Amino acid sequence: MEIRSGLTLQEKLHILADAAKYDVACTSSGVDRRGREGYLGNSVAAGICHSFAADGRCISLLKILLTNHCIYDCKYCLNRVSNDTLRAAFTPREVCELTVEFYKRNYIEGLFLSSGVWKSPAYTMERICEALYLLRNEYRFNGYIHVKAIPGAPDELLAAAGYLADRMSVNLELPTGESLRKLAPNKTHKAILRPMRMVSDTIAEHRLAIGKSAQMERSRSTQRLGGGIFSGAGGRIGERADQSGFVGDARPLKAQMPAEDLVVRGSQPVNAGRESFSLPAGLRRRDLQRPFVPAGQSTQMIIGATPETDYHLLKTTQHLYQTYDLKRVFFSAYVPLNEDSALPALGTPPPLLREHRLYQADWLLRFYGFHADELLSEERPDFNELLDPKCDWALRHLELFPVEINSADYSTILRIPGIGPKSALRIVQSRRYGKLDFPHLKKMGVVLKRAHYFITCGGRMMYPTPIEERYIARQLIGVNEKENWQIRHGSKTGFRQLSLFEDFQLGA
Amino acid sequence: MTVFTCEDTFEAMMTCIYDAWASRLGHDNLRLQLEPVWQQGLFCTYVHVDADFSKAAKVVRSIQRKISYEAYRQVFLAAMSFEPDRLDAIYRFLVLGFASGRKLTQMMSRPEVVWIFELSRKANTEANYFREFTRFSQVGQVYVAHIEPKCNVTAISAAHFADRMPSEHWMMIDDNRQIAAVHPKDQAYYMTRLTGEELKQLRKTEEEEDIYTDLWREFFESIAIEARRNSECQRNNMPLWYRKHATEFQRRARQ
Repeated sequence: MEIRSGLTLQEKLHILADAAKYDVACTSSGVDRRGREGYLGNSVAAGICHSFAADGRCISLLKILLTNHCIYDCKYCLNRVSNDTLRAAFTPREVCELTVEFYKRNYIEGLFLSSGVWKSPAYTMERICEALYLLRNEYRFNGYIHVKAIPGAPDELLAAAGYLADRMSVNLELPTGESLRKLAPNKTHKAILRPMRMVSDTIAEHRLAIGKSAQMERSRSTQRLGGGIFSGAGGRIGERADQSGFVGDARPLKAQMPAEDLVVRGSQPVNAGRESFSLPAGLRRRDLQRPFVPAGQSTQMIIGATPETDYHLLKTTQHLYQTYDLKRVFFSAYVPLNEDSALPALGTPPPLLREHRLYQADWLLRFYGFHADELLSEERPDFNELLDPKCDWALRHLELFPVEINSADYSTILRIPGIGPKSALRIVQSRRYGKLDFPHLKKMGVVLKRAHYFITCGGRMMYPTPIEERYIARQLIGVNEKENWQIRHGSKTGFRQLSLFEDFQLGA
Repeated sequence: MTVFTCEDTFEAMMTCIYDAWASRLGHDNLRLQLEPVWQQGLFCTYVHVDADFSKAAKVVRSIQRKISYEAYRQVFLAAMSFEPDRLDAIYRFLVLGFASGRKLTQMMSRPEVVWIFELSRKANTEANYFREFTRFSQVGQVYVAHIEPKCNVTAISAAHFADRMPSEHWMMIDDNRQIAAVHPKDQAYYMTRLTGEELKQLRKTEEEEDIYTDLWREFFESIAIEARRNSECQRNNMPLWYRKHATEFQRRARQ
């Protein structure tokens, strides 16, 4: 380890932004807050991206580490103690100056502050809190702050961070305890899940105290649906899943995962058996008047470094949403940085398509009323490489299609490939005032190249289409192919050799 | 056919709608058009309408009361779009609207409604983009931003910045339309027209560089993951024409 004193701010920013870039969450969403005179900043619930980096990922927040000094030795991490990299640390004031000045120039929407574990979790968290406290009170910053909770830090400090920040996250890192033991010997799921549980309970308490419901608000489409993973067990969609022979929620998760994993509290509802923070000393009254973590909690998992299946990951995701009331679960395709026998070799391409499929499925859980068990099962544990999860689901349930656009209910329309929450809502609203036809749908934003295999307007399909799995699958694969290829290869190469067997499905 | 023409301002457009309606010529016998009129029709009479605040206010009030606030929002956004026929589109939308009332914006099977929906969506999307991609540079105590939007979104985006930075001096300049939103510290912002000379002076502000522009470029380059490089995705999310005034895409002046 090399410690050099007298790094310039620019060098520090280079090192600490570079070290933070593998953290995926860069959203500024979830909280609406008006600006105030004398303060700097506001917050928009939809989130605002300010730029897009060369890898196509959005830059919304100033994503930096407070320091990349770390006492832990997680095998996948660039900043592990056994790596010989240049170490640097910001002072809290430098973090504040950077945030405020970038913010005034409209470069960023706020701060994302994470950190390596410096000396001890408590010491690190204290430095983080100091920076946030300065930023909120001395620099009068009213914009978005996302802060990482360091597992193992004292409750008081975690609570203080919660009052100052808008979103908190604890990284789950890996979906099973076994993998975590293997790759991150200093971390345990128990230590990670405890602050997560406490943050979510404290959020719920604060929400109840100001007259809101204990659970975080979800999207309007989810509220409209009724079913889905955020409402209680069962519901219409759950029944449908059971009829079609899928594993329902009734089956205990313990059978699928090692005992000490996510099932620390089984599947209790969010507000049972609270264990929340006591009020931190040292904060002023004004700080305590802030809502506690108003934009909710998130977490992230690394995929592709360990042998978990997509089914396992998606089940875990659903479980996290239901049990910890998380706002988001992020997936990070593993980019090999260190050489280690327990990890994929250096130069292994990151599993970008798999990550993409998981995000698509995550959207289906959060906005479309799907359950993990409808999308995957023990027998089919991984996503189809060629088709997105929604098309894949529709193809396996052709008995439900085609759907008549002019009469089907909202939840059914939402399950048609090519139709999203917005266009589904527009369909339901506008068909009261006149019959809808395909050109209307196109204008409303329906992606007809996917949807037309599954819908009728006034009893007619757009083209004569056999409702036959192989035929539709072949057509849809053609539609998806360009997109899949782009995700997998980026735009490094422009051309590719056509393959008779792969491109025209002659082999199968 | 009678054609009512007016200037390209929201007030003039609303006045034009008022006068066209009040002319009682019948909706099918008249058309509305924005100035300048490049080519006149052979059998058309042209009537120029000047902006009148009280007439415009009456139209706005009627839209809000007799149709809905959402309809007014869509009309305003559509008026800010760059479609040449937008004024006539708005007129047709309102003809249907005053007949059908609140449900107007949901009647997506009607072409008039879809047309305005599309125009307003376009303008709204662009206003949101300029909320994101506008970059200010510091000149003394003032933060100055230059933009070149296709739709006339300066006023809409400025409302966001007025909330975001209430206690800063800042201004947003639309280089093509030569208009600016000016926000003095702790006051409401206002729109103003710039003369050619003023604009020339203000153009120079963009070359202003300080330590934070360099730091931002440094951050922008450090945050990308090389193994995931995907410029196509980047282009989809941030098309090239938005990058013209974005600090991180401008070449460093000092190097």
